[in-house]
Amino acid sequence: MLSTGDYQAIGLTLKLASLTTLILMLVGPPLAWWLARSQAKIRPLIESLVALPLILPPTVLGFYLLIAFSPEYFLGEWWLTFNDSSLAFSFTGLVIASVIYSLPFVVQPLQSAFINLDKSYLEVALTMGYGKYERLYKIIFPMLLPSFIIASALGFAHTIGEFGVVLMIGGNIPGETQVLSILLFDHVESLQYGAAHQLSFILLTFSISLLVIIYGFLQKRQQRVLNA
Amino acid sequence: MLKFDVIKKFKHSRKELHFQGEIKLSGVCAIFGDSGAGKTTLLRCLLGLEPCFGDININQQAWLTGDKCLVPAERRRIGVVFQEPRLFPHLNVQQNLQLAVNKSNQSVFTINKLAKDLGFESLLTQQTTQLSGGQKQRIAIARALLINPQLLVMDEPLSSLDKSSKKKLLPFLKKISETIPILYVTHSEHELFYLSKQMILIHEGAVEAIGQPHQLFLDSQLSLIKFAQQGLILNVQVNRFDSQEALIEGDVDGQPLYVSAEHPPLGDSIQVKINSRDVIVAMKPIQESSLLNCLLTEVVDYREEPEAVVLTLKLQQQFIYAYITLRSFNNLNLSIGSQVYAHVKTMSIIN
Repeated sequence: MLSTGDYQAIGLTLKLASLTTLILMLVGPPLAWWLARSQAKIRPLIESLVALPLILPPTVLGFYLLIAFSPEYFLGEWWLTFNDSSLAFSFTGLVIASVIYSLPFVVQPLQSAFINLDKSYLEVALTMGYGKYERLYKIIFPMLLPSFIIASALGFAHTIGEFGVVLMIGGNIPGETQVLSILLFDHVESLQYGAAHQLSFILLTFSISLLVIIYGFLQKRQQRVLNA
Repeated sequence: MLKFDVIKKFKHSRKELHFQGEIKLSGVCAIFGDSGAGKTTLLRCLLGLEPCFGDININQQAWLTGDKCLVPAERRRIGVVFQEPRLFPHLNVQQNLQLAVNKSNQSVFTINKLAKDLGFESLLTQQTTQLSGGQKQRIAIARALLINPQLLVMDEPLSSLDKSSKKKLLPFLKKISETIPILYVTHSEHELFYLSKQMILIHEGAVEAIGQPHQLFLDSQLSLIKFAQQGLILNVQVNRFDSQEALIEGDVDGQPLYVSAEHPPLGDSIQVKINSRDVIVAMKPIQESSLLNCLLTEVVDYREEPEAVVLTLKLQQQFIYAYITLRSFNNLNLSIGSQVYAHVKTMSIIN
């Protein structure tokens, strides 16, 4: 059935998606909160930058990242001062690119949940004696748990599905940067349609089940809480 | 003692509210006034939910001086019941209440005791989204008590409830107020007279007066007069309920008063409103008529208005307003000090 190369790509893809999701769930919530609540003039600009990967061709982003990663430019040069190899065509490079590329998928559902969160609940918690951070852990997080799960699931799934950016900056190194979507492309190019079918089917099943869970269950649950 | 002198400015308008006053913290202090007069804003300033400027002192402890908040909202220990119940929708009843218990140290109340007193024992495991408005508000009241508050603040807590829920909750709140002082915003004169011995009258973004409800309602200088002239509230001691004749036999300042009622009253006193336009004034008791209520009163004040004369009639401690025509006023030759019999149709007393 699946070849060792396929298994390797699946493992690498899962590793990349997990790591990316972890970073996004650290960065995303505070950013989404700021975007939902801030009155700052710079907010629309930041919001646009976060949303950019939604409409920008992935190859454009990949191209700029490739340049930024190259040793001739600041980021790549700085990276080489304490690393042996370049950021481009490396797993770390892929993680950085994925975080940028999947950011809106994590930030937007959270931002919308934060906007729809009725401030009156936070006032009640405040009068009950819950301070700033306690409100976050004991009220906001449990109340918006479905949105946090949706955000991380979308971030995870979108990272698994990315192709253009990886193609530009990842190269196609098995075990290092050869993720599922790239391997699938390889299979098709070398006319191994059977192998391509298998990988496609896996990705399709995964994506559909995830979306069904999100839209059929999690989102409804969250709406019930937010509309109460 | 609660002393406040706060100024609330609004971002996008020139409007500025200035509340100043001092109240005793015992029993219920009602906050009364027109919609939009600023009652809720005053409460929110006291709660620390609204940024404002000035001084707030409670029992010698300063909460606010100038623009410096000395005690933030989360440490003020005020139990709040908002107009809407605001129960957390992701938790069931028990979990909602537990959030309050977790924040109290040695509360005199327990979830089970309050569930019994407020009658929601069977709802503890239910999701709050499935409850009716009345059920939710009872749980919100329990939640406010469970934080072991030094003060309760209630913003029209019963306004969206049906009559029978109100009837059950009012005696409960009155009893609570014996141990925990309550600031109580209301639009209802009945709630006001039933619960409170003290009231803050808010008018056009400022405190107009602070005092006993009975006194403020008689003061013709205050904005309250438009409520008062429709009719004053009387406290009636209940002696007996005649279920056959659907009649409450009561006693107001030592004189008998009959009030029609479908159901027996819950407490041993009721509040009734006597509509000023339904009062008949006579020099002698009217005999052989259907009138049941005849109260001997003294005219202590009168005021001529374009279409009528408003008499202030004193019982012993309580008062009635009576609207009569100028002709009747002259025919009866009334003046301050006159003894008159005020007749009120039993059916026109609002229970």
